[in-house]
Amino acid sequence: MPSSLNNVWLIAKREYLERIRTKAFLLTTILIPLLMGGGGYLAGVLASRTHSTAHIAVLTASTGAGKLFGNDLKHELESAEDSQMTVDVADDTPAARARLDGLMKTGGEHLSAYLQVLPPANPAARPKFIYKPRSSSDIGTFQAIQSGIKNVLTQERLTTLGMKPSEIAALNAPVEIETVGGSTTAAFFGAYGLFFLMYMVIILYSMNTARSIIEEKSSRVFEVLLSTITPDEMLAGKILGVGSVGLTQVGVWMAAAGILGGAFAAASGGLHGQSIFSVGQLVSFVAFFLYGFMLYSSIAAALGAMTNSEQELQQLNMFLVMPLAFCMLCLLPIIKNPDSTLSRVVSLIPLCSPLLMNFRVSLGNPQPWELGLSCVLMTATIFGILWLSSRIYRVGILMYGKKPNLPEILRWLKYS
Amino acid sequence: MPIVELLNIRKAYDTKVAVEGLSLTIEPGTMFGLLGPNGSGKSSSIRMMIGITRPDSGTVNLFNRPFDRDALKRIGYLPEERGLYKKMKVLEQLVFMGQLHGLAAHVAETRARAWCERMQIADAIDKKTEELSKGMQQKIQFISCLLHEPDLIIMDEPFSGLDPVNATLLMDTLLDLRKQGKAILFSTHRMDQVEKLCDEIAIIYKGKLVLEGSMKAIKSSYPANRIHVHFTGDASFLDHPAIASAKTYTGLAEIVLNDPHAAQSVLARAIEQGAVITRFEVTEPTLEEIFIATVGESVDA
Repeated sequence: MPSSLNNVWLIAKREYLERIRTKAFLLTTILIPLLMGGGGYLAGVLASRTHSTAHIAVLTASTGAGKLFGNDLKHELESAEDSQMTVDVADDTPAARARLDGLMKTGGEHLSAYLQVLPPANPAARPKFIYKPRSSSDIGTFQAIQSGIKNVLTQERLTTLGMKPSEIAALNAPVEIETVGGSTTAAFFGAYGLFFLMYMVIILYSMNTARSIIEEKSSRVFEVLLSTITPDEMLAGKILGVGSVGLTQVGVWMAAAGILGGAFAAASGGLHGQSIFSVGQLVSFVAFFLYGFMLYSSIAAALGAMTNSEQELQQLNMFLVMPLAFCMLCLLPIIKNPDSTLSRVVSLIPLCSPLLMNFRVSLGNPQPWELGLSCVLMTATIFGILWLSSRIYRVGILMYGKKPNLPEILRWLKYS
Repeated sequence: MPIVELLNIRKAYDTKVAVEGLSLTIEPGTMFGLLGPNGSGKSSSIRMMIGITRPDSGTVNLFNRPFDRDALKRIGYLPEERGLYKKMKVLEQLVFMGQLHGLAAHVAETRARAWCERMQIADAIDKKTEELSKGMQQKIQFISCLLHEPDLIIMDEPFSGLDPVNATLLMDTLLDLRKQGKAILFSTHRMDQVEKLCDEIAIIYKGKLVLEGSMKAIKSSYPANRIHVHFTGDASFLDHPAIASAKTYTGLAEIVLNDPHAAQSVLARAIEQGAVITRFEVTEPTLEEIFIATVGESVDA
């Protein structure tokens, strides 16, 4: 046994040192946080500056309430906080409609849509609206108009009830809530960030595990290795070695983030000294991260053992990506209700636990038994997959030049 | 005490039987040649010997004991498909292989340096493998399976791809190791090398053993009915009635006799007819001929 552990250690050490010395490691360590941070910042900036700037026309009755509504809507859409449209108000005549229809066909004046406001059947009812867009999939413009109409209607109604414009504005101002113990928004985005970090590193390094096995197959080194060590030791060594590289990378990022965060807190006078993440969150992240790594690396190892080239591996990628994509789909329901039955169930699925249970630790209140159960399930799954992988590996590495089909792989499981 | 003992081993992959009823024994201090056409089961047999695959039935004994992974530390294996880590430096690579065979790092390093000196590749010791020539890589691999001073050395086609100078260097090293009492098993297609080096041979064909024994015994079991003549002048003596067949090259004839005792009479006829003989040799068939004859017979059977 000690000799077998020693072999695993030797393989892992070699794998680790070879990878960590590469330029690729250095580059990804520096570039990924830059890209992620930069991308996040850019997306934020863009989102805050993106307003609907479409050019639309509003056709109203030529007099009275209709005309008033048209002008109010124009004001709302042209100068409201999140809308910078150009709005033409015109009388609703067949000639005007024909002109606008023509413009929409030719694309003249960059007209995106026009809105017909028909007077209400009785004074207490709302007017009727007919919306005619140039492209029916332009949802941004549609939503801006929809909320604009609603605001204008509310304002008009409040005015008729006798409220002053300043009172209406005060009523519509955003509410400010101060959260005790740090900002909820920051904590949420922190948890979100951790989710994507884990997602990315898992994909990146499980692919690396698969690649490292293919590389070994194509260089034929393993046949020499197999004359002293077992395929299981080799597999374990590879997973540990490649996995440690990933952990090192994440470690570097976390340390850098910690130092930067600390420096930032110190610079801002220690007022916002609380960290975004609690100790429990970090412990959970590291634990689930390790589990995720082991799970997906062992799947990747099996995929690597089945294939002979990168190209073949690409075709099998979906086995790695699909469970992860499923986790993404489950994000929304979990954000809405972290402790619902649905959230509980999906976060217990072993392939999803690393990402989802960890997410719930940040957002909700998973019970200790849930955490325990998910760990037990994941451990069992890891052993199961490793058992399968090592069998596929054992036979697969000695079969080269030939791509196995499913029945063959099933037959391999019977050999040993 | 036999180093390797295979007893009636069998291995089948799906429908194809790779090895069937194979038994052989390798003693210490022996150079053992494993011969056979491509796909005859040589590599499968070797893989079972060192536990890469397990036989379906039969027994593998190593060092006089049933197969045990601990025994693998006493074996050096050079597979036919060469493989080294391309990005690793030569010394690192050798130390790594040594450690996998149970050596301490510093021991492995000392030995690796000594071996590189001996194999005349000391200059390459700090280079990456991918920067080296194929022949050099092969020498490194050769060293990597000898570092841990194995008692059994298994080499699949050890001389393929080597120039004559390096092939001789490797052969001399192997002969030296045999002198130290190591058992060496190698498989090759080069019959001249086997003939020169091996004490024992086994020929496998279609997964079965078709011939096994000491080189001397096998050769002497065939009649000395071959003549190699180097000559100039008239070649008409080749019409001699005792000659079954003759191949003539420039100044050389390879003759097969009907009657092994007719050699003298062929020589007399040649002189009589005015050929100038510079060399005249009566011998057993070459290993190559034996190989072709044996494998050919099995094909007929």
